[in-house]
Amino acid sequence: MTSRLVIAEEPSADPKKVTELASNLEAELARLIVGQKELLRDTVIALISGGHILLEGVPGLGKTMLVRSLGQALDLSFSRIQFTPDLMPADIVGTNIIRENSGRRDFEYQPGPIFASLVLADEVNRATPKTQSALLEAMQERTVTVGTETRALPVPFFVLATQNPIELEGTYPLPEAQLDRFFFKALVPFPSETELLEIARRTTGNALPELHAIGDADAIVAAQRVAREVPIAEHVLRYAARLITATHPGRTELDSVRRYVRYGASPRGLQTLVLAGKVRALLEGRFNVAFDDLAAVARPALRHRVFLQFEAEADAITTDQIIDEILEHAKKES
Amino acid sequence: MTSLDAVVRTLRGSDARSRALPYLVHAALGAAIWFATVQVAARVVPVERRVQLAALGVLVVLVVVAIAWIARRPGPDLLMQTADLHLGLKERLSTAWERRAADGLMDDLLRKDALQHALRDRLVRAFPIRINRREAGAVAIVAAAALALAVLPNPMDRLLAQAQADRASQAKAASTIHDVQNKIAASTKTAPVDPKVQKILSDTAKQIQDAKDPRSALEAISPAEQQLRQLSDPQTPARTATTQNLASALSTTTSEKAAAQALSASPSQGAQGVRNLAAQLPNLSPQERAQLAQALAGAAQSAKDPAMAASLQRASDALSSGDLAAAAAALNDLAGQLDSLQNQQTNDQQIASAINGLEAARQALAAQVDRDAAGSSAASGGAGASPAAAASAAAGSGNGNGNGNGNGTANGNGNGNGNGNGNSSGSGGSGGTGSSGSGSGTGSAAKPGEKVYVPGQPVPGQQENDPTPLGPGQDVPLTPYTEVIQSYQQAALDATSQSLIPGSEQDLVREYFARLGE
Repeated sequence: MTSRLVIAEEPSADPKKVTELASNLEAELARLIVGQKELLRDTVIALISGGHILLEGVPGLGKTMLVRSLGQALDLSFSRIQFTPDLMPADIVGTNIIRENSGRRDFEYQPGPIFASLVLADEVNRATPKTQSALLEAMQERTVTVGTETRALPVPFFVLATQNPIELEGTYPLPEAQLDRFFFKALVPFPSETELLEIARRTTGNALPELHAIGDADAIVAAQRVAREVPIAEHVLRYAARLITATHPGRTELDSVRRYVRYGASPRGLQTLVLAGKVRALLEGRFNVAFDDLAAVARPALRHRVFLQFEAEADAITTDQIIDEILEHAKKES
Repeated sequence: MTSLDAVVRTLRGSDARSRALPYLVHAALGAAIWFATVQVAARVVPVERRVQLAALGVLVVLVVVAIAWIARRPGPDLLMQTADLHLGLKERLSTAWERRAADGLMDDLLRKDALQHALRDRLVRAFPIRINRREAGAVAIVAAAALALAVLPNPMDRLLAQAQADRASQAKAASTIHDVQNKIAASTKTAPVDPKVQKILSDTAKQIQDAKDPRSALEAISPAEQQLRQLSDPQTPARTATTQNLASALSTTTSEKAAAQALSASPSQGAQGVRNLAAQLPNLSPQERAQLAQALAGAAQSAKDPAMAASLQRASDALSSGDLAAAAAALNDLAGQLDSLQNQQTNDQQIASAINGLEAARQALAAQVDRDAAGSSAASGGAGASPAAAASAAAGSGNGNGNGNGNGTANGNGNGNGNGNGNSSGSGGSGGTGSSGSGSGTGSAAKPGEKVYVPGQPVPGQQENDPTPLGPGQDVPLTPYTEVIQSYQQAALDATSQSLIPGSEQDLVREYFARLGE
């Protein structure tokens, strides 16, 4: 039984507790989620960074399980929204309904499923852009405005959106500007054969592992505050900036970027890179950001911020390949 | 490790050691390249002080590399970053150093963490001592090549030795002239030193010293000799002869033998004797006066100098007429002319000494030119092997300055320094070590059967003395040709017997001198 951690009591905070929380969280999730260590790490980093994550993977890989497990492990409110073409914004953010109270009819706000700390937006690309915008606006502003009243979303507020890379017919791909609002884009890989066997063993019996809450909303918020205190050296920061610059075809020496990339990463990509690097440093038990931290988070931080040309698709070039090449080039320069 | 400053100090020392070796290799490569370059250049152009030049370059390279080593010391930031990279410290040290003065939430933890890791790792490993093998190999190759170049014979060495010998001969020639100058200044007591003579000698010595080679230096001598000759008075021999005639005439008288002896001794003593004679005229008997008047008339008749002849005649006439005062005045005039003659003779002696000095300088330079020409011919495939060279030597002969100091035998040394008196035997074509004789003399060839004299040459081992100052009317001391040719022959045969010269070639030399002696 893991006791809940108290990370911060204002104004001081203990970075080691953040490390402990993260490792405990990963360990707790790993009891239910087989494999997917990278996905778990990316999810934890995004959570502590205060960002949202877009999960891309075929159905049945445990995306929903991950979100639910996260809710259990952190004792956070959880809601799931299945995005469909007929889903309306009000279905997400809530609506005012007429309620009769002592013979008097009043409008009363009925909160939508967005009012939870952990929100699973399943198959987000199946909803119409209008509905997507409602979610994405809430993700960005962390408030919801219905009628004339603006309501704050719970803290922490963490959205895990999923989308299916196949079955694209009848979907509404997220536009670039909205993709940029996701902190990470994580790929959910298909499990290995060994992992498949383990999944079969764990999930086909009578008893499923029961997760224990190892933290709460306060712990997450404190961890988010501590993470931002992690120092980053000037030359490491320049390295991050070089990585971002190198994704732009007009500002790089890399032929592949010039040839295959249409748009490079935005400044928000740099913010993501640095913040994620800070969290990863804490998760690694360090109190400073290293080059390795930036390199480790570069793929999930940039893969949805670098947009490729058609020629890349024709040559079967992926964004991850481009990012790897940029990392390799930047490593030589360092 | 107590502080980040201590880490920086440790890293700095480690970095200095690590960079020292590569920089030493750089320095060695630079020095070797410089040394090899100097050696190669010294084989293309004569470089006199190539060892000093090479050493200076090596020193400069070492200093430059040392300065670069010091100037390119990395700063603490870079040291920390490098240590992070090489020790895998995940940017702990560099971040901690950058935030060493910060007091944020994490900074203290960061510093402790960084120091812990620094303590755990051996910081010297951050800067390992490595040598670029390729560069070290290049150093070895270049150094070996430079050493080989330094050890192998350098064809420019002969030119350098020749240049040094040239300069030495020019210095010696100039020194000879300076010695003559000093001797003239020291030995002249009765008359002041002619500044023109001194100036000519000084200028000539300077020209010789500054000349680019002995051949050019030789060209300065003949004009100087011409200038010196122009300074001598052409009437001096006539006056000297007149004085001797007067001495002879007075010696026949019974009462004036003292004056005759004085005149024979020197013009100045003669002048004093004549003045005494003028003063004693009243004491002479009429018979003695008549005898004196007759002697003076005889001397006047045989005098070659008009002024002296006139004074003698006036004195004779006055004595004959009994006018003792006029006779005394005429004799005093004559005494003044004798004083003037003394000065002229002294001046001529200076000029002769100067010419002798120039001749000695000429000999020294000519000998060096001969050696240079012999060296050049030997280097180009054997002395005397080229008919063209012989022809060139023959052309060089006969063009000397005509002062009778050349050997006149067309021995092919090609220096053109005074073959003007020529040689009627015409055997000049058998020379062959010269290359391009030159000269501008006006000497005339000797008549058949005439005895030809050439200046004496020291035989090997003989000490060379400074030329003796010449007396009035004397020319350069001459040595019979037969003696000179014998000494030359002996020297040549000695030289051939001491060298690896085939017997047939020795016979050729022997035959050459035999034909010259015919």
